[in-house]
Amino acid sequence: MSTQDQDQQSNSTHFGYQTVDKSEKESKVAGVFHSVAAQYDVMNDLMSFGIHRLWKRFTIDASGVRPGNKVLDLAGGTGDLTAKFSQLVGREGKVILADINSSMLNVGRDKLRDKGLVQNIEYVQANAQYLPFEDNTFDIVTIAFGLRNVTDKDMALRSIYRVLKPGGRLLILEFSKPEHELINKAYDFYSFNILPKIGELVAKDGDSYQYLAESIRMHPDQDTLKGMMDNAGFEQSSYKNLTGGVVALHKGYKF
Amino acid sequence: MPQQALCAAIELLVNQALSLNLSGKSDLDKLEQKTLILYLQEIGFPLSFTIAAQKVLVNTLTEDADCTINTSINTLLLLKKEQQLTELIKQDKLDIIGDIKVAQQFAHIAETLNIDWQSELAKHIGDIPTYKLSQAGKSLGDKFKFAAQQIQADASEWLVHEKRLVVTKSQLTHFNQQVTEIERQVEQLIRKTEQLLKNKILPNDNAIKDSCE
Repeated sequence: MSTQDQDQQSNSTHFGYQTVDKSEKESKVAGVFHSVAAQYDVMNDLMSFGIHRLWKRFTIDASGVRPGNKVLDLAGGTGDLTAKFSQLVGREGKVILADINSSMLNVGRDKLRDKGLVQNIEYVQANAQYLPFEDNTFDIVTIAFGLRNVTDKDMALRSIYRVLKPGGRLLILEFSKPEHELINKAYDFYSFNILPKIGELVAKDGDSYQYLAESIRMHPDQDTLKGMMDNAGFEQSSYKNLTGGVVALHKGYKF
Repeated sequence: MPQQALCAAIELLVNQALSLNLSGKSDLDKLEQKTLILYLQEIGFPLSFTIAAQKVLVNTLTEDADCTINTSINTLLLLKKEQQLTELIKQDKLDIIGDIKVAQQFAHIAETLNIDWQSELAKHIGDIPTYKLSQAGKSLGDKFKFAAQQIQADASEWLVHEKRLVVTKSQLTHFNQQVTEIERQVEQLIRKTEQLLKNKILPNDNAIKDSCE
């Protein structure tokens, strides 16, 4: 491989099935989420038949959150995890809902304020690769259905590692590779034939949901992501497949 | 994730019931940020109840509990009577770790739940259908109760008199009385035997003493 090819490869990344320049991906992903933000929660319920609520509950249960903890809900979107964490950390604790996308952050902030959750939540527009927090700040960092949209995942993992306190843990909830071939085929059919049509009907944006399906397929599988966590410095990394591996929860510690 | 599904269902049910409670939510203030963990033998995983902002959060977290109860569903139902608490602990049917007052306050909220189901139902389907439905429900309940009693009576008849697989309460009492009577007679016999033996041995002892002298 020539030096020029290597340079080209290191400067490019995936946007769904397309290979794009790293500098382009952020704006393209931003476009997708600006477009779907208003209908995000409705679409989540429709697409997952409501199961995303159980996946998120599982994440909360696995987090070991305690009153007084400081939690970063990265790519927190419309704040489902933040809402639960906010109630569990209590007045002594704090939850920071961070998202790179202003539209998603606005929808999340409005939703949480409508629920009366205001006391211990802060909102930060932040890129996961360059987290604007001091070293050793958080007890828990979660990123649910967000990592696959990050341009440089390794850089994001290193950045998360930096802001975690020693003893802190990272939980990554993300679409993954189904364990059985039959589920995989059914899932593929659903993702590429039904999902974009639901997106077209409800959110009037089939392309964004086509991207969603493609980005899931391009995301690293369970073991690859675990390896990436190990490389970023996380210890005792492990994952648990949910719904037959359609989604996986990865967990790793900083000691 | 059946655990999470169960937690979600319980959380929904509990909060819905609390929102309909005629006694209000004032008791929840005392329990703000308090956590009760329940280990039920039948389900095999913890159920954690935390009060936050006048809502009950249900999950499987086991961190920082104010009170932990280890028991079974049957024992939990017996806990309605507060005086049973000590007895159940003595019998090892109930294990409580932490602040018992927290458990009592949670139990108090459950006991004082006062929901006017009829007026809640009437809001959705109207007064007359609600009345008809509640009458039908009452009548159905009475019929079920009668049917259950009838089945129980018939089953007892069949087991005791036709098949003779079990005995009646009076037969059991009679048997117990007979056993007690036999016990009494045996004791009497033992005492008599001992007395006889004593009488028989003593003269012999005296005879030995006499011969020695």
